[in-house]
Amino acid sequence: MIYRVSYMVRGKVRGQTHPGLVRNEDRAPAVGEQVELAGDFFAVTEVQELIPPQGGFSFLHATCEWVPDRVPAN
Amino acid sequence: MSLLESLGKVQIFTGLERDEVERVAALCQQRAFRKGDIIVREGETSQELFVIGEGMVEISLTTPAASTPLINLGKGQVFGEMTLVDRGARSATVTVLNDDTVLLAIPHDAFLELCESDNHIGFIVMRNLAAEMSLRLRYHNIAGAMFASE
Repeated sequence: MIYRVSYMVRGKVRGQTHPGLVRNEDRAPAVGEQVELAGDFFAVTEVQELIPPQGGFSFLHATCEWVPDRVPAN
Repeated sequence: MSLLESLGKVQIFTGLERDEVERVAALCQQRAFRKGDIIVREGETSQELFVIGEGMVEISLTTPAASTPLINLGKGQVFGEMTLVDRGARSATVTVLNDDTVLLAIPHDAFLELCESDNHIGFIVMRNLAAEMSLRLRYHNIAGAMFASE
C-alpha cells in the first residue's frame, strides 16, 4: 500500500502559517508520532481518511503541530 | 528506482497495465533541479505535466505585495495537471525547495494524444485526475474549517 498523506499544520511556525505538505509515504502516520516536513518536526495530532483506499493507494490527512525544540540531525 | 517504478507510485497512473505505463514513460523527460529553481510561473502558458520523482516543490501565488505559499508537494505528487484539462494559464508558481530534486516532465499534447488514441489509458488517467481534484478540494475544505476555528 502507498499512503498519499496530506499534512496540515495547526498554529504558526516562526510566526507564519505553514503551507502544509502532500507526499507519498510507505506507512501511515500515527497520532503522537513526530514527522519531518521540509526541515522542521511536527507532532501528528489527528489522522483521518479522506476517501476509501483504491488502486493500492490509501488517502490520509494528518493534522500536526510544530515541535520547535527539535531540529534535524543534519 | 527505475522510471517505470517511479510512475507506478504515482496516483494518477494507478490502474494502468504495465505496457500502458511503459507508453506513458516513453513520453517522460527526466530533469534535475536545484533549490530555488522556478519550474513554472503563475500566468504563463507552458504545456507540461510534472511528476515529482525526488525532492520537494512549493506551490505559491504571487500578489503585488508578496508570494504566498499554498502547499508543498513531495515525492509521487503531480502538478501542472490543471492546464492539461482546462488549457488555461498556469494557476500558480512552482519553486524547487530541495537540491537534487528530480522531476518527470510530460508534454501535454503528447499525453493527450496518447489518452485519445487509447481509451483505457484516457479513462483511467482522467478518472484518477478527477479523484486528485476531489482530494484537493477535500483538503481545502478541512483547511478552511481549521483556519476558521483558529
